[in-house]
Amino acid sequence: MKVEISRRRFLQGSVALSVVGGTALGTSNILADTKTSEDNKIRPTKKTPTLCEMCVNKCALIAQVRNGVIKKLDPNPLFPKSKNMLCARGDAGIHALYDPDRLKYPLIRAGKRGDGKYRRASWDEAFEYIKEKMVKILDEEKDNRSCIGYCTGEGMAEPTYKEFMAEKFGSSNFINHASICLQTAISGYALTIGGYGMADLDNAKYIIMAGANRAEAILTPDTMDLFKRTRGRGAKLVVVDPRFTNTAIHADTYVPIKVGTDLAFVLALTYVVIKNRLYNREFVEKNFDNFNVYKLHILQQNYTPQWAEKITGVPAATIEKIAYDFMANAPESVYYQGRRSTWAATDFQLRRAQAIFSALGGGIDIKGGIVFGRKLPLDKEEINSPIYANAQERIEKNAAAIIGSSGSWIAWRNMVAQGNAPYPVRGLFVYKQNPMLSVPNTKKTKEMFEKLDLVVVIDTMPSDTAMMADVILPECTYLEREDPIKSFGGVEPAIVLRQKVINPMYETKPVLEIMKGLAKVLNDPLWKNTLKHDEDVQDDTKDMKPDELEKYRKENGFDLEDMYGANQEEMNKKSFVGKYGEEAWKELRSKGVFYPHMKEYFKQIDKNTFEYYPENKKSYSIDKLGEEADPDAYIHDTCINPKEISELRKFFKTPSKKIECYLGNLKKKGIDAMPTWREESYVKIPKGKFKFITGRHAQFTQDATQNNIMLLELMKENYAWINDKEAEKRGIKFGDEIEVTSKIGSVRIKAYPTPKIIPQTLFYIHGFGAKSTGLTFAHRNGASDNEIIEDRIEPVFGSAIMHDTIVDVRKV
Amino acid sequence: MNYAMALDYQNCINCKACEVACKEENGVQLGADKQRIWVGVTEGSIFGHPFVNLYPSQCNHCIDAPCVSVCPTHASHYIDGGIVMVDPTKCILCKGCMEACPYDARFVDDTIFAVDKCTFCHHRIDEYGTTACQATCPTKVRLFGDLDDENCDLVKLLKKRKFFFLKEGEKTVPKLFYLVPEDENFLLRSVGKDTKIHTWDEIKPIYDEAKAKRSKEWKRS
Ligand code: SF4
Ligand code: SF4
Ligand code: SF4
Ligand code: SF4
Repeated sequence: MKVEISRRRFLQGSVALSVVGGTALGTSNILADTKTSEDNKIRPTKKTPTLCEMCVNKCALIAQVRNGVIKKLDPNPLFPKSKNMLCARGDAGIHALYDPDRLKYPLIRAGKRGDGKYRRASWDEAFEYIKEKMVKILDEEKDNRSCIGYCTGEGMAEPTYKEFMAEKFGSSNFINHASICLQTAISGYALTIGGYGMADLDNAKYIIMAGANRAEAILTPDTMDLFKRTRGRGAKLVVVDPRFTNTAIHADTYVPIKVGTDLAFVLALTYVVIKNRLYNREFVEKNFDNFNVYKLHILQQNYTPQWAEKITGVPAATIEKIAYDFMANAPESVYYQGRRSTWAATDFQLRRAQAIFSALGGGIDIKGGIVFGRKLPLDKEEINSPIYANAQERIEKNAAAIIGSSGSWIAWRNMVAQGNAPYPVRGLFVYKQNPMLSVPNTKKTKEMFEKLDLVVVIDTMPSDTAMMADVILPECTYLEREDPIKSFGGVEPAIVLRQKVINPMYETKPVLEIMKGLAKVLNDPLWKNTLKHDEDVQDDTKDMKPDELEKYRKENGFDLEDMYGANQEEMNKKSFVGKYGEEAWKELRSKGVFYPHMKEYFKQIDKNTFEYYPENKKSYSIDKLGEEADPDAYIHDTCINPKEISELRKFFKTPSKKIECYLGNLKKKGIDAMPTWREESYVKIPKGKFKFITGRHAQFTQDATQNNIMLLELMKENYAWINDKEAEKRGIKFGDEIEVTSKIGSVRIKAYPTPKIIPQTLFYIHGFGAKSTGLTFAHRNGASDNEIIEDRIEPVFGSAIMHDTIVDVRKV
Repeated sequence: MNYAMALDYQNCINCKACEVACKEENGVQLGADKQRIWVGVTEGSIFGHPFVNLYPSQCNHCIDAPCVSVCPTHASHYIDGGIVMVDPTKCILCKGCMEACPYDARFVDDTIFAVDKCTFCHHRIDEYGTTACQATCPTKVRLFGDLDDENCDLVKLLKKRKFFFLKEGEKTVPKLFYLVPEDENFLLRSVGKDTKIHTWDEIKPIYDEAKAKRSKEWKRS
């Protein structure tokens, strides 16, 4: 093999992911004025530290501003989580800010729902429109606040929106991204080892990464930690995946596996370890509850590597070797938890099996294993929440064994679409989420929107979902606002701040201002509505004089405007200075990052390497597993709702505060108390058909970055991966258009035949195929996965099963 | 001063942060084929097992740069530290340099009607000491530095690690130092049999000599 290479040859040959297309836009880069040497001499006048929001990681960055224009985003080395990097999306954040298609002013629907016709409105007009509809609906529904649902994607301002809708407005119908993302993994780990934790990839010696793809689904600090230690530099990496991903190219062992059979793989690993008594006996003795029951179960079920080979396609000898190697390196070995994760109906059991397997080696709450770390506390303002007697419980509460406080998207949507909710849901607020692309079965999502009397979308871009709205409220981007201050726990905890870099452009507003505006117009009319329909309030306030009534209203939280402080900056200061003082506050504002002793601890080792905490100050272990009072301490990112985890833990009382092999409470709800392979729930692939899988990519964040011109250069559209031999049989060549059809829909997409995917499996990445005509650059690029993914849920949390859809493939 | 760059290419995950950072930093023309920096990909399989090798790359800022020699208008020239630059006002788009460059590092910028290429982010050096592509990289593939400075991170690294060059046979004395990976298997898979492996002590005099020959052309920018 020759290493001599030419770039253009690569461009032609390297169709792996970034397929070269004719994206050369006629316009030149709007920021291209650094080109002449004259310009280069004038350095930017202002640098503001802030946080990226192109994905969930929140990397620290420094924005360079000249003449009010953001010219460049540079990594800020001070944040231990992002370790002085910005990924392609982070670098391209400027094009989210200056995207010509941005929502610029409020819009009110002027045509039929979905046809994209809107008229420009003022903020007052938009708020007034919402108010009128809300008051009418809530009057008709007798002050059942839950008749208005609300959903959101992940983001630092999520609490600003969510807490108002939940605590002040008082609806129980909240849905966020958990049930189409990592609900099963988070909860599986929380209920088994006490928390999701984080894998200490900086120190682990043996890592099994199954389905997770840290080269393409970038997660900080895991991505940076891992790939500096692979290839014989301390971390042995086993990648288990139906696809040979960019993570797999770094693996010592790549294990292709049949889709949906990971549970059998883990059970067989467990079998080998138990049968041969390879586990850490001292750790198991001390920390496991019901180990003997589990042991018996695994042995009796006879989960041998030979058994698993037939199901998974992984050779028994490979399973055996991995089990031995894992334990030989334990406790510095990790079965990586994974995130966006509900692949099959058994996913919760899979995550439990992984957690127990990891724990068998003793790699929990210890350097090199799964660690919980520490979190720097912040003060929190209490919200005075009113109680509405007529507000009903969430509609889909019985759709699965445990419907958490973030709901089940599919179950919820289907009830609204099919009109079989226990009471009418008549409105939906959507913030920073795009269910038209992100929830399986787009047709049904559209049906849901068509059923609703009021749809309000708060977003920065005219997404497919915005096109379903009655009112569109334009939010400013992350570079134009301050967000709630954030503390990130972990081995090296820190507090970070997203600060405003430039003022909001056009007529856009931060979501805080939007919620304040809503609170203001809704406040009095909704209070009157409560007085009219709420018998508890009527009893309480009988014969009250106006001033007494007003006092009652204030004291009991019915004043919707009392939740927010003057501005975000002030609210942030309030939650910070009590604990860390004024000096630290100044430091945080000027540096963007703060942790105690930062000045003393932070060291630059060389141009690429920084030390954040001395080794003896890092928080690898919280010692007494599960006994820490603050469940929040386990939570390392904003995708995880600490409240929900603590609720879960309360529900299960985690009686032993140990590693839970057996969950008796679940059994009562008809769920296996221990991870068990159920042949009947495994979806087989009929001859000639394919199982569809979806995934992530390092250049796009789900569907949020789809219109970014800089990122579209790297990948203009998505391609369907199909095994090259199968493609050949069907006469499908690279770039051919194929039709992919499932029970619920059909898409057309270009083919990418490759040996890097196992047979009978079809893959394309999520986030493409937008239909909104408002998105000039993203419009109809490739295909959307959720047009073909069937809307089925797993039985524990009602999470969307993403990898069990059978499809037909036909050359067009 | 003799600027160069080491690449721990085994770290690369093909995330393309470097491509975007370069475009944003330098206002490079938009378009998928307008890149100052790229990741070379070779794919194949050995006994049915697929493999992918990634070679992040850019202009080599060759000490004996054929693109500079061939340029009829002196648009292509050196500046301080041996950085190869293009003066767009002098470029007549004859494309001789594009032919001459063994690395395919040059392309036509249609917005300024001139050839464009990597500048080693020379405008950033004084303030940051790093290039935009180095700073942004999640796995820190690149390390920029001065071969003449024994105390800089780059030279310290090159004294520790062996390295090779792309297309060394073209004799352009390139300055992208690809670090030899520790892992034998990966080394065998990603480096051609005929590729020469070098050490600092052995290469230093050769590079010094090459510099001595052409550095009179390295003028201050
Ligand atoms: S990983 Fe990339 S997109 Fe995500 S926060 Fe960091 S720089 Fe931004
Ligand atoms: S930024 Fe680094 S890891 Fe990403 S493609 Fe460039 S060299 Fe590779
Ligand atoms: S294209 Fe321009 S820079 Fe290149 S050789 Fe011709 S004149 Fe010189
Ligand atoms: S050194 Fe600067 S100009 Fe050269 S490739 Fe890197 S970012 Fe681009």
